[in-house]
Amino acid sequence: MSVLSVEDLSVSYRIPGGRLRAVRDVSLSVGRGEVLGIMGESGCGKSTLAAAMIGLLPAGASVDGGVIRLNGADMLRLPVDEQRRLRGQSVAMVFQDPMTAFNPVLTIGRQLADFIGAHDAARHNRADIAAMLEKVGIPDPARCLGRYPHELSGGMRQRVAIAAALLMQPDVLIADEPTTALDVTMEAQIIHLLRDLRTSFDGAIVIVTHHLGVIAELCDRVAVMYAGEVVEEAAVDALFHDPRHPYTRALLSCDPAVVQPGIGHLPTIGGRIPDLSALPPGCAFAARCAMTDATCASPVPRHRAAGRSVLCHRSKA
Amino acid sequence: MTGVLELRNLSVALPLGGFFSRARLPILLDVDLSVARGESVALVGESGSGKTTLARAVMGLQHVTGGTVAFDGQVVEGAAGLARLRRDAAMMFQDATASLSPRLTVGYLVTEPFRIHGQPLPDPEGTARDLLAKVGLPPAIARRYPHELSGGQARRVGVARALALRPRLVIADEPTAGLDVSVQAEVLNLMSDLRAEMGLAYLIITHNLALVRHVADRVVVLYLGRIVEEGPTAQVFAAPAHPYTASLIAAEPRPDPRQRRTDLAIRGEVPSILRRPSGCEFHTRCPVARDICRHTAPALAPLGAGRQARCHFADQQQNQQGVKHAVEHR
Repeated sequence: MSVLSVEDLSVSYRIPGGRLRAVRDVSLSVGRGEVLGIMGESGCGKSTLAAAMIGLLPAGASVDGGVIRLNGADMLRLPVDEQRRLRGQSVAMVFQDPMTAFNPVLTIGRQLADFIGAHDAARHNRADIAAMLEKVGIPDPARCLGRYPHELSGGMRQRVAIAAALLMQPDVLIADEPTTALDVTMEAQIIHLLRDLRTSFDGAIVIVTHHLGVIAELCDRVAVMYAGEVVEEAAVDALFHDPRHPYTRALLSCDPAVVQPGIGHLPTIGGRIPDLSALPPGCAFAARCAMTDATCASPVPRHRAAGRSVLCHRSKA
Repeated sequence: MTGVLELRNLSVALPLGGFFSRARLPILLDVDLSVARGESVALVGESGSGKTTLARAVMGLQHVTGGTVAFDGQVVEGAAGLARLRRDAAMMFQDATASLSPRLTVGYLVTEPFRIHGQPLPDPEGTARDLLAKVGLPPAIARRYPHELSGGQARRVGVARALALRPRLVIADEPTAGLDVSVQAEVLNLMSDLRAEMGLAYLIITHNLALVRHVADRVVVLYLGRIVEEGPTAQVFAAPAHPYTASLIAAEPRPDPRQRRTDLAIRGEVPSILRRPSGCEFHTRCPVARDICRHTAPALAPLGAGRQARCHFADQQQNQQGVKHAVEHR
């Protein structure tokens, strides 16, 4: 059974003169022990989707329709207090910039105790916190508890953020660009840590990133987002070795990490993401797609096959 | 042959301790580096390796405590030397949006270098239009303000501004950081076009190894402010001579789920420059360190074919295999 799922979820932002449709009819689910990757370029709605999943949408954003289920509970139909309580118990988030996630004037130990205290005061003590820091690879955890966030490196802060998330014993861990601010060596270590955690922590992990390498190294299943929609969803191996949607194919082929050096110009996608407040009819990718024909201006069908879905007129699942 | 940029024994140290203390903390140590005309050199290393300090020292934004910077065969000295350097060498900053003044239009921003250096600017609008066209931006963008630009557009404006005075050298600090892959590819293509067209030389500071492979002729690897390896890009990537280089290459995530790494080539992080390790400074993280590495510092030694490395065992050509072996058997 899925721990967290969204069904036909739509989210929009209020902007002068209209609405910007950031997430459109997205359906996704993630189960225990599974790592779901959400990938796509900036502005495609991946962070808005993650924020909606944990009820952290900014002011001006609203859920226009759809269902969010957490451990079976229909979250959007519950009173706000109840939503908060359920989320607090079962969802934890790791952000891109681990510096801004902490209060600069409190020690790490004090903050971790506070995080836990907000939800379950009696369950943990200092020793548990130190044990968790050790588990995420902090050398000398007892000393770390007495330190302030600025005294730690970016990689260490991200480890502490992951420890803080895990101390809540969540059912779902959502990480938004968890390695983007880090060096490649620390990125490899955080990927390694998250992969280890997947086996030891019996929950679901959702990774939001634009970094294809992180997706390939870490995820079981991947949803590719474009202009607010999931255009393709597949198992990670199928997605990287047999991509079906033209956008997925274009994205994979222009990653400088994939392209062999010495070929001269790198392939690019060309054009830009359409204006989300004035979307074209039919396929949102049509203007940038090499396969576009007259049918692409009509509503796009979603093709489904075993473990896969593709939103396209011209490609099949 | 003299290069467009020649650094000799360049050292930077920051004052340490109280106002009257004469203690200094070395950040860069005796860096020798040259960039030939039209050449593209990448400087790689983790945060804290001294990459950005080096770029700042070249541009005169950081006080140099030893060694020299020569531009076009002339040692940069005094205010006049620095002004000449800043006119003929341009900097592309890492945070493109933040490097543009929010209250000036794009058209003013790209022609600002002329005003700063007192160069004639008879037709500001035409010049702005030409510069924007060169980086693939439409003329209408000249009337916009920086906050109205996307990340890729801001990066292009940064490039246009850097190109304004037809420099011979562009120092680019993480030119692709924070950009989506398709936009990264666009910026890299633009950089190689401009190089072919204007004969630009690049000094690129990055930790994106994919970028290095695509645009750099030569790569220089820094660790704790020292060059640990240097050589032609293709050869260094094919067979790194220093275990640090091998570890960096091995740490890069592969965009292929069938090539997942089973273990880590490198652990921990760069040691604090306040407590530099003894012997070879990389020995604390090196997967193939031996006894000699803990007490004897290796020198940067030539390996032939334009390559050099600072490792006791570099000439044995075994480091790549050694790191691979250490990773597989951990």
